[in-house]
Amino acid sequence: MKTQNRFHKSTLIKSAVTLLTALSLSVCLTACGGSQTDAGDNSQTPSPSGAVSSVAPEEGLLRTAVLYDITTLDVAKTTDDYMVPMNIFDRLFETRMVDGTAQVLKSLCEDYSISEDGMRYDFVLKSGVVFSNGSALTASDVKYSFERLLTAAAQNTDIPLEVVGADALMKKEADSLAGFEVTDDTHFSITLKAPNAGFLAELSSPAMSIVDAETMAQVKGFGTDPADTIGTGPYIITEWEANDHYTLVYNDKYWGPEPSVKKLIVRVIPDPSTQNLMFQNGELDMIDLINLDSAIVESSYKKTHADKIVTTPRVGLTYLVMNEENEYLRDVNVRKAIGMAIDVDTIIQNLYSGDAIRECGIIPTGIWGHNDSLAGFSYDPEGAKKLLSDAGYVKGQIYFELSMDSSATSDTQLLYQDISQELGKIGINAEVKTYDHASWLALRNSGRMDSFIARWGMDYNDPSNIMYTFFGSRDNARGRSINYQDSETIARVAAAPSIVDDQKRMAEYQALEKKIILDDAAWIPLLEELHLYCMGDRVESFIPQWAGFSDFYAADVTLK
Amino acid sequence: MRQSFLRRLAESVVILIGVALLIFIMLRVVPGNPIEIMMGEHANQSTVDRMTAELGLDKPIYVQFFRYITGALRGDFGTSYSLGKPVSSLMRSAFGNTLKLSVSAAVFAWVIGILCGVLSAVRAGGPADHIFMGFSLMGVSMPVFMTAMVLQFFFGYYLHWLPISGSGSWRNFILPAIALGWNSAGAISRLTRSTLLDVLQEDYIETARAKGLTETTVVLFHALRNTMLPVVTMMAIQFSGMLSGAVITETVFSINGIGRLSVLAISGRDIPLLQGTVLFSTAVVILGNLISDSLYSVLDPRIRREA
Repeated sequence: MKTQNRFHKSTLIKSAVTLLTALSLSVCLTACGGSQTDAGDNSQTPSPSGAVSSVAPEEGLLRTAVLYDITTLDVAKTTDDYMVPMNIFDRLFETRMVDGTAQVLKSLCEDYSISEDGMRYDFVLKSGVVFSNGSALTASDVKYSFERLLTAAAQNTDIPLEVVGADALMKKEADSLAGFEVTDDTHFSITLKAPNAGFLAELSSPAMSIVDAETMAQVKGFGTDPADTIGTGPYIITEWEANDHYTLVYNDKYWGPEPSVKKLIVRVIPDPSTQNLMFQNGELDMIDLINLDSAIVESSYKKTHADKIVTTPRVGLTYLVMNEENEYLRDVNVRKAIGMAIDVDTIIQNLYSGDAIRECGIIPTGIWGHNDSLAGFSYDPEGAKKLLSDAGYVKGQIYFELSMDSSATSDTQLLYQDISQELGKIGINAEVKTYDHASWLALRNSGRMDSFIARWGMDYNDPSNIMYTFFGSRDNARGRSINYQDSETIARVAAAPSIVDDQKRMAEYQALEKKIILDDAAWIPLLEELHLYCMGDRVESFIPQWAGFSDFYAADVTLK
Repeated sequence: MRQSFLRRLAESVVILIGVALLIFIMLRVVPGNPIEIMMGEHANQSTVDRMTAELGLDKPIYVQFFRYITGALRGDFGTSYSLGKPVSSLMRSAFGNTLKLSVSAAVFAWVIGILCGVLSAVRAGGPADHIFMGFSLMGVSMPVFMTAMVLQFFFGYYLHWLPISGSGSWRNFILPAIALGWNSAGAISRLTRSTLLDVLQEDYIETARAKGLTETTVVLFHALRNTMLPVVTMMAIQFSGMLSGAVITETVFSINGIGRLSVLAISGRDIPLLQGTVLFSTAVVILGNLISDSLYSVLDPRIRREA
């Protein structure tokens, strides 16, 4: 029986092996057939959808990748996705890096003046500017852009809400924004409810992009359909395939200097390892190293591409929140002891490979009003133990939860573990508990989260952006689970933006910072990450966006 | 036969409605406000409240369910909170990619799996058996992401033969199909081998051989047909699993498919998108089971007669 089987099996094996070989060969030949590129040639170009061709990348093309897709092209509908708005729209002002410092520069605004009381702003609009569909830019478009944020279910309402009559418009009690007066096509004025010395900086936020009233009345797909999403910026969006890629091309009606990059393809590559391989393979011209594992950045990029790395501060703050409604954290001695127990310098070296700046105050490095001389908590675990002991606590008595968002980056997850261990050394039991993002956000917003670590990225170059958000009202402090109790300080934070004199305003912010951080230990500022990008062989230079967003101005990239 | 099929079809509709209700309730019971997630860190509470009202999320749950189910019957699954586009159009575009990936992976898995299984069985204990079973074991035991990364490195980065990621051309699907299909091929080949070895011991196989048929004919036309019964079931389940989303493969190869959409929906608490993808996946699994049951009847006359 066995012999008989073997006799016939040889035929079967031969047929099967032949079939397998044919199959493998066909796969290999197919693979080879489409590519005539030499194995060592890195000039392959992916089409937007990823097919590799052996044709050299077209002149003026910049290819980059992001981990997540944008959700909209409309600035009114997002507080995060600014890559497209930054490039296809303009604003009255832009915050740009000039000689290494962030400066608020005039953009669509030709000239302006501010009344002595800081309430009224008179603007002159640049003339001769047209939208990419040829429609002329007028002061009415600027007014429409403000009003739209208040009436079109927008997410970015904070800035236009500062204008007189904004509440009435938002509640539909008025049909136009009373504090916005249009004199003629190029002249208009804005009257604020209260003085705000940071108003011009706020106007440079991507949220304040200017859209065309005439076009908006005609199209239905603004924000979702590239063809309907029209701006005055240096680029036009020509395609957006959800979860795959989007493409921007140069707007030949742009009023400013012609950029080096004529076409930008941004691909959605959710896997960092794939992004890394694509960059190494020459399929991407620029990579945001914040997307990659820090070990890869250290072992590969910093060694082999050191001269191609561009670094900028991420103008934002990684901080530790301690809820003053927690039975232990309400004691200022406990909060100060926590501040003294965290060795931020070692964390920066070990977890961030030195790619971060230690922060001691609320206003981060790079923001107007940042106080370099503010001394934060010194690392002193023995002093922290003594402080707790003097306050009557015994080892292990203090317990609270360090709530972690499961979507936190790997660096942040390690930061949680590190801080938990450091607090353990002074006898505080800070247990790391992980929540999914939605649950984490719900708990934090309820004001009942004991403690957490997070990062705030600045939207515009003014201290009010961070100070007011966290300490400007009791609701704000509760919504971040801080529950700061000092009403007088909260009132001062809320009033600070209306101090018109810059020197006095800066002095007030710095005094508030000292009070909140050093006296009340209401917050533990930790660090500001550095943002590293790596340029490919085709890129000559790159100036990252001032705030270190992953979004950038394509016009700030120069190709070889 | 037809009655049985219709009964299964009716059961399927009931299951679908049940799943729709369950996922709808679950998503509203778990903590977390989807609007807060959608609006991001920088939105204020009054804006969140306004959006909640505008999307009807402040309405009673039965009103929301009625609106959802009537919309779904018309093919309108709502608008994704996180991608700002109609769920039906997002799923349509994602399903195209998932279908291409699944079909190519399934073809790879079935061809390689069955061939390896048959060759191992007829050469049981020999070197060929060890080689093919080793190949299968590797497929089953290697994590998909590892296989994917090795393939990307070797064929994409080192040899420059195939694209590292994307979904624009059929060539983009070769590496993902192998990464996804190898795992299934391993399972199919092991099942094919063990079942075929059992079948080859049956009396009717001896009868066939005694009639003077060649071993190739005996194996391919007599033994393999009976071997295929459990294998087909496994293939159908695997295929419906692939169709309902190969999350890791789609993520590593940047393929905009159902799996990636599902992950996006879960992480962003995107209720319309999550409901859409869950319902879709349920429908695909139900359909897969229906097809495998029908194939069972085709392959085995006894089942056909019983039905």
